[in-house]
Amino acid sequence: MNAASPRTAFLTLFSHYRRHPGQLAMLIVGLWVASALWSGVQAINASARDSYARAEALFSTGLDRIERRDGRPLTLDDYLSLRLAGAPVSPMVEGEIELAGGRRVEVLGVDPLTLPEISGFRTAGGTGSLRDFLQPPYRTRLAPDTLASLTAEDDALPSLADGRALPPLELAPELPPGLAVMDIAVALELLERDGLSHLLVAPDARVELPDSLVRSAAATPMAPGQLTDSFHLNLTAMGLLALVVGLLIVHTALSLTLEQRLGLMRTLRALGVSGRALVGLLLSELLLLGLLGAALGILSGAWLARWLLPDVAASLQALYGERVGIELALPWHYWLGGLAVTLGGLLTAGLGTLWRAARLDVLGLGHAQAWRAQFLRQLRSMTLAGGLLWLVALGLLVWLDRQPPAEGLTPGFVMIAAGLLGSALWLPPLLAMLLVGAGHLLRRHPLAQWALADLQLQLPRLSVAMMALLLALSANLGVGSMVGGFRLTFLEWLDQRLVADLYLRLPPAQYQAAVDWLESRDEIDTLLPRASAEATLLAKEGSQYQPRPASVYGVTPHPTLTESWPLLASQENAASAWRAFARGAAMINEQLALATGLAPGQRLRLSSPSGPLELPIAAVYPDYGNPRGEVMLTTTDLSARFQTSPDSIAIVLERELPPGAIETLRRDLIQALGIGGGSLIDQREIRRRSTDIFERTFAITRALNTLTLGVAGLALLSSLLAQSSQRRGQLAPLWALGVARGPLAGAGVVQLGSAALVTGLLAVPVGLALSWCLVAVINVAAFGWRLPLYVFPAQIAATLALALGVALLAAVLPAWRLWRTSPRILLTEFEAL
Amino acid sequence: MLELRRIRKSYPTPQGLLPVLQGVDLRLAAGESLALMGESGSGKSTLLHLAAGLDTPDDGEVRLDDQPLSALDEPARARLRRERLGLVFQQYHLVPSLTAADNLRLQARLAGREDAAWSRELLERLGLAGMAGRYPEQLSGGQQQRLAIGRALAARPALLLADEPTGNLDENSADEVLALLLALVRDRGCALLMVTHSPRVAAPLDRCLRLRHGRIAEASL
Repeated sequence: MNAASPRTAFLTLFSHYRRHPGQLAMLIVGLWVASALWSGVQAINASARDSYARAEALFSTGLDRIERRDGRPLTLDDYLSLRLAGAPVSPMVEGEIELAGGRRVEVLGVDPLTLPEISGFRTAGGTGSLRDFLQPPYRTRLAPDTLASLTAEDDALPSLADGRALPPLELAPELPPGLAVMDIAVALELLERDGLSHLLVAPDARVELPDSLVRSAAATPMAPGQLTDSFHLNLTAMGLLALVVGLLIVHTALSLTLEQRLGLMRTLRALGVSGRALVGLLLSELLLLGLLGAALGILSGAWLARWLLPDVAASLQALYGERVGIELALPWHYWLGGLAVTLGGLLTAGLGTLWRAARLDVLGLGHAQAWRAQFLRQLRSMTLAGGLLWLVALGLLVWLDRQPPAEGLTPGFVMIAAGLLGSALWLPPLLAMLLVGAGHLLRRHPLAQWALADLQLQLPRLSVAMMALLLALSANLGVGSMVGGFRLTFLEWLDQRLVADLYLRLPPAQYQAAVDWLESRDEIDTLLPRASAEATLLAKEGSQYQPRPASVYGVTPHPTLTESWPLLASQENAASAWRAFARGAAMINEQLALATGLAPGQRLRLSSPSGPLELPIAAVYPDYGNPRGEVMLTTTDLSARFQTSPDSIAIVLERELPPGAIETLRRDLIQALGIGGGSLIDQREIRRRSTDIFERTFAITRALNTLTLGVAGLALLSSLLAQSSQRRGQLAPLWALGVARGPLAGAGVVQLGSAALVTGLLAVPVGLALSWCLVAVINVAAFGWRLPLYVFPAQIAATLALALGVALLAAVLPAWRLWRTSPRILLTEFEAL
Repeated sequence: MLELRRIRKSYPTPQGLLPVLQGVDLRLAAGESLALMGESGSGKSTLLHLAAGLDTPDDGEVRLDDQPLSALDEPARARLRRERLGLVFQQYHLVPSLTAADNLRLQARLAGREDAAWSRELLERLGLAGMAGRYPEQLSGGQQQRLAIGRALAARPALLLADEPTGNLDENSADEVLALLLALVRDRGCALLMVTHSPRVAAPLDRCLRLRHGRIAEASL
């Protein structure tokens, strides 16, 4: 070939799209949406990881923490007495302030002069002068994205809700988002505190601590990146699903264009274009399309991420208490990675096309494809591959069952992926089998028989779009059931746990006065004092676990509480478990039980100021949303053993109080005790806040799910539109034989509706299996607690309706076009055959 | 049986209207066979499409059994095609995913007048009895065309319209298919209008018309 030949050959090959612009659009749209959803998720992950990296750089400095055992703030006396004893400790205060306009920011007060050399707090991510930081008017150091989020609305510098001004701002790009660092003196003043959150000390420093204080090693807290891995893995899995669904569209489009260009390619070969050159030309075409699709996708992905990031940030805050910036931070590898994944996916989807082009038989020009034999071979391969994937999934399930909890997140997702893909591969053989069966049953109904036979003809191309629909529907149902089940369980659990009408938090000094005041009121039915402390769960001889920090929580086992508090496991029954608890036994949360293997009837060992405690375990209780292990004792036991006093009171009111009585009590209580409104929380308020957090937590999941389903619908629609002109050619003879356009168009809608209904029916067990995997495997590995599996018949019906809806939506346009096609056009199609 | 009166038909082209038929008159009696010959582009297929109600003339009238087709809407014309007409195409147009037996019975079933004995006889006479379970791709070109003829006749049409039914076959197969077609048509007393450009194919038919530039030019071979 001379220099102009490749160009001529390329333009000749590409000219196919001039006559079939729908196929070109389908290819680009497939690449676009696949790349957009994948890139969007990656942009979210990249931005969150940037936030974690900044937080880790600041917090993971290898310093030990010293706190009070009873969880209360340290006093200045605690700090000074240690300093006077020569201990190299440094004070720190943490808290949250509310800015004008309701925005909240975390404040960290440090003393750079006493901080150990290795601490990242020493410079607090800033480059300004230490003197300015330490002297009035002081400085507020924060990251640029924090500043942007605080001043986004009016561009004014932020001030506190009560009108006080923040110290002058100083940018510190290395600080994590949502955090303001300042001198400890000004932080205490802004937070209106007189106590310290904790003290920091270098790990190698020897410090003698009084019994009331506890030192925790630097390695104990987990890095935010580690904690949130499960969340990001979940997002990546959803992005991958969308990528696969999008690439299925691309695969369909490529197969179609190849099939329709076989004659053209044979002609080119006969005219002297070598097989290698032909593959090269197709590869260039793929690259060109890939670059276009990737560019559109990556840009849309960044836009999508910007749209979803506030919800993701809210989810991460709710789930892990991690602050994530809502400004996108996209590293260079985001752009290259997006391009590589899109092009890689495109090449994978187009590998079959290139292979067939390379093996093209020049002498086969004009020979009809033996589609039946080819399709049967394909169905056999799909059945086999689907079976193998299911074996992999089952093997992983058995393996995961033998692993300790909180492990196996990635294998869990691999198991889900194998199961989903296996099911998708089984769909076309199942549809083909059903079509043959239905064809026999309906042999007396000629139009139905023809429609079924015709659907068989369409199946090779339609099956890929149907597989995409199955994946999207199963994910929709599975994730929907999981979220719905979680919602139900969570709200029920919240109702059971929130037995009191009001919750009062107060300093120990005010506890007795509060009790006396409350007991004098007629509105009060019961007071349930609560307490909390921190301890270490000690390993026992032969135990499978390492010592680990655990929260200790004290409740009052009054019938009001014990009758509704849910238990997951007890030795005999709930009543005997509560009796044992009242006598001094402990209860543990599910997280701790799963992580340590501890169970009712066994004993646990817990550190305490009075030495190690050995307690029998009476029961295991659910504790959704808590990432930590927790041991529950009676408030009386906890106060005695941890030398502390109750820190809050759950207030149960008399039933049938007159309207407004709660508000009056609230007002009187706040006035009598001189406490802030934030110390007294209404049960309804807690419920509302928790529900809000819950809804926001799953907003991203719902959004991605809906988008994936949209992509699957698009796959179906574009697949139908791309072959609609070819379909008219197949329908024209039947029209000539005497079937009017109306019934023909109707048959097309029924064909696709039935195929979608079968797909929807298959999506039900697959979706439920997915839901089970999510609640019983992924949830346990990611969060340490298991959810009950709920089946929602309305959701199943909605899935079936959705399958039908998507299919009908996709079928209606081609059917309408057929119905509107004038006989003259049909005649043209007919004559062209 | 079939009457075409002063039929005119033109097609729009970028250069303006292209007249294809310019006042064609044609009558076909019941049981009669007529060959319609002419060069490519002379309007043979257009005339056949008009006779089948697949297209409508710009001017003139097509009457079938004394009923003007222009008075019928599309569903009624579709019903007429499946109940009264049989169509045989040069490209066969069989449904690839139906067996030979099901393809043969398709139009009869669509018309609601399937006759199992007649279908079996057709299969037998067309030499396809041993191939009833095969799919079209497993048959030769001649066998596929015989099957297409069977499909057209299975519904016992009053008029068979055939467009170059032997155009894709070699000489031997063409002779064989043609002989079979004529025998079956005569046995059933069905009228036949066949478009062909081959005098050899037209010869055994009762009459022959030649179309030239959109007009009937000759009334015999």
